[in-house]
Amino acid sequence: MAFPSQLGFQDAASPVMEELLTFHDHALMIVFMISALIGYFIIAMVTANLSDMYILDSQEIEIIWTVLPAVVLILIALPSLRILYLMDEVNDPHLTIKAMGHQWYWSYEYTDYENLEFDSYMIPTQDLAPGQFRLLEADHRLIVPAESPIRVLVSAEDVLHSWAVPALGVKMDAVPGRLNQTAFIASRPGVVYGQCSEICGANHSFMPIVVEAVPLQQFEDWSALMIQDA
Amino acid sequence: MIGTMRKQLRSHPALIPLLFFIGGGAAMSMTYLARLALRNPDVSWDRKNNPEPWNNMDPTHQYKFYAIDMDYSKLKKQGPDF
Repeated sequence: MAFPSQLGFQDAASPVMEELLTFHDHALMIVFMISALIGYFIIAMVTANLSDMYILDSQEIEIIWTVLPAVVLILIALPSLRILYLMDEVNDPHLTIKAMGHQWYWSYEYTDYENLEFDSYMIPTQDLAPGQFRLLEADHRLIVPAESPIRVLVSAEDVLHSWAVPALGVKMDAVPGRLNQTAFIASRPGVVYGQCSEICGANHSFMPIVVEAVPLQQFEDWSALMIQDA
Repeated sequence: MIGTMRKQLRSHPALIPLLFFIGGGAAMSMTYLARLALRNPDVSWDRKNNPEPWNNMDPTHQYKFYAIDMDYSKLKKQGPDF
């Protein structure tokens, strides 16, 4: 989850997010190198005592500063497109979950085999137990089996919302009347948090998403208990 | 026009990479538009023989530009017939 004074991304909890982190490292390194070069040029220009420098018509440097940036852009574009197409592939998911956005809570439906539906409200700050996270905890978590491809169908019942879990590298708009699909694989058991990412009214900041990845046996036990209790 | 371009390129060879990259970019965008027009199943050219190509799609057809991890030959049809 996010922590105070955090500078970078959260640790990756899915293979796609790991790819995104690596790509971000690559692109940021290029950006830092370019900025360092420009910083050097600025200082060199400002502190030089010469005023009549070669500033007119040089074909060689023009070729260099056309070709080199084009090459850099291609070096950024190719990994970026690869990840873009990778994120779009939904490879035979084991489970399909529907996430419906409401004002101001999420409701989840596991309807592959039985009819399991529940709402997920934020736990108000005054009701938090010690150790729980303010504005991030929810009463009913989205329990998913770890290391299984999961497909999430996202939509909304009233206004625009967005189902986002940064640690899984997932964000998908919840549009009323439209069904959007996203997918993820939780690399390991654990709890990851997200928040609604499209302004949806007064409590837009107070409808978090909590995904808990558990081993498959525990997922089956949990879903059997939930259906029994319903 | 080609003669004027050749004269300018001889005196300013730095224009060659510019021409290459801008021309390449223009060619790539036009190719993509042509691909969209001719290959996209949302586009119907022949209203008599193939009015709704989006309904005749083969499940093993690769409609994305670039397949990384996806083995399209293994996919099966998952919906009802029209």
